[in-house]
Amino acid sequence: MPDLLINLDNITKTYNSAGVSVAALRGISLDILRGQAVAVMGQSGSGKSTLLSVIGGLNPPTEGKILIDDIDLYGLSRERRADFRREYLGFVFQQFQLIPYLTALENVLLPLTTTRYPGRQKREMAMQALQRVKMDQKQGRLPNQLSGGEQERVAIARAVVNEPPLILADEPTGSLDTKTALEIMELFSSLNEAGLTILMVTHNPDNTAYMNRTITMQDGSLFEESKTATAPKQRAAAFCGGSGQLL
Amino acid sequence: MNLYSIALNNLLRRKARMLLILCGLVAGITAAVALFMIVESMRLSLGNQIDEFGANLIIVPRSEGMEISYGNTQISRVSIDYEQLVEADLQKITEIPDYNSINVVSPKMVASVKAGDKEALLVGIEPRQEFIMKPWFSLGDHAGLTTGDRPVDLALIELPEDSLIIGSEAARALGLGVGEIVQINGASFKISGVLNPLGSVEDGLLFGNLTAVQTLLGRPGEISMIEISAYCNACPVEEIAAQLSAALPNGRVTALRQAALLREETIDRFSAFSILLAVIFLSVAALLVLTTMMAAVHERTREIGIFRALGFRSSHVMQIIFMEAGLIGLLGGLFGYITGSLAARSVGPYLTGISSPIFWQADLLLPAVILSALIAVTAAAYPALRAAKLDPVEALRFI
Repeated sequence: MPDLLINLDNITKTYNSAGVSVAALRGISLDILRGQAVAVMGQSGSGKSTLLSVIGGLNPPTEGKILIDDIDLYGLSRERRADFRREYLGFVFQQFQLIPYLTALENVLLPLTTTRYPGRQKREMAMQALQRVKMDQKQGRLPNQLSGGEQERVAIARAVVNEPPLILADEPTGSLDTKTALEIMELFSSLNEAGLTILMVTHNPDNTAYMNRTITMQDGSLFEESKTATAPKQRAAAFCGGSGQLL
Repeated sequence: MNLYSIALNNLLRRKARMLLILCGLVAGITAAVALFMIVESMRLSLGNQIDEFGANLIIVPRSEGMEISYGNTQISRVSIDYEQLVEADLQKITEIPDYNSINVVSPKMVASVKAGDKEALLVGIEPRQEFIMKPWFSLGDHAGLTTGDRPVDLALIELPEDSLIIGSEAARALGLGVGEIVQINGASFKISGVLNPLGSVEDGLLFGNLTAVQTLLGRPGEISMIEISAYCNACPVEEIAAQLSAALPNGRVTALRQAALLREETIDRFSAFSILLAVIFLSVAALLVLTTMMAAVHERTREIGIFRALGFRSSHVMQIIFMEAGLIGLLGGLFGYITGSLAARSVGPYLTGISSPIFWQADLLLPAVILSALIAVTAAAYPALRAAKLDPVEALRFI
């Protein structure tokens, strides 16, 4: 039996502004299995970022139910949802969103700040996460001393440091050049191969090649779904004119 | 890495903002500390001055019957039944618990006498005690009480037993001058000095040596009244009065509350004024902390959204804000104490006309630091609450 991680049941999200109701999500039902890498495509305003925030426990749906690992996400209190995010989710934001006055290592340590791990263990976990994204040599640098790609790597390290089962990424390559974007997507691919489930909102159709499932949204509804069968390295070769050289 | 290091890092990053809040708090605490120190110094100085300004306790014999007055004090003399005060009672005064607070004890024998052919009030005194207690007494004219041109220090004179010092009005009324002899109840006394006019009842009195007056009146060892000057900065005069009453059951102790009340009222007014000023300064500081922290929270909306998305609870976000405010508050208290003390010591004497120096009060440091931290944290409560209530989605839309 497939290992179900996320179950969205008829999710609706309506925003009310100045007496006008706008439906951002219209009755979305979706299952995501553990270990899947899912790309969410769609035009601006299609509801994909709202979907991500709803699954991320940040934005309660107007109707419907979300189960993650069989936990009713919005059955939890606001504070318990914060605990849930810390335990179950890793966020990779658009524009990296590192805290500017903290070093790379401190940024990666952030999700562990409120955990009960001993200080030394927190540091070891953060260093391992930085090693995973090949940023351990620049642990002491502030975000403004890092390139865009390096900041993205630190942001990914921050997302995986507490080893959550699910990574939510919002346009992670949106502000990167093509070469760096490929490196980052390769990194996501390797994380997925290591067992992490990834849900990524992206405008870039090329990124879907690194995902094993793509859903497209339009006007708050699931519009189309496709599955990618090719292996990541073959997909990479397709991006690099057949050379297969990514880095 | 913990919440404290996040707070500290943020403060160090936003130095200008931190300095702004710090300056506000330092100004408020400086004002509070300086005013407190100045008022305390004034309290001590004024208290000492008033305490030195004559007696604030009077003991007279407990009696029933007619009384004559000396100044505002009833002196038992013509009475049906009364208990006497005697010189042995002076020893009992030294045995009360708060004797250390007593500065001067001045026993007196007061009697109406015939001076020449006129009625006068003769007061037997121990000159040193009396003149120490009443430093405003000064001699206008004198004979045989000093050497050379130096003015006579009344507190140092030895008044011969056959000599009198008389008030200016008594000298005029009796037609007496320095060096002249006056017959009192048949005994001869030399006028050794005439006091400068005081504008008080003492202008009409004759002052003689206590022992000589007792002998003249045929009442050896007897005392009509005892005037006491007590330093009461550290003790209520009523407490000393109670102790004296217990020690002298034959005496009636009266606390001259006017001096104490005047002092208390004056100091209370200073205190109220200084508290008002300090509250105004501290309120302004609190308002500065509030507005600056609000602006900081607004500026950090994105950051707070990230914290919340990464699993920080609302309470964690509040803790960060409170820690930042508390840290600045502690620093503000420390610097405020230092600058306040310096301000009080340097400008206090000029502002208040206090001649005595204002001393460092180390015991003010802790209250100053705690007060500053408390103000900062209290003022940061609303911004912290706002930060904690920030909707993570709204905050992330800020991105």
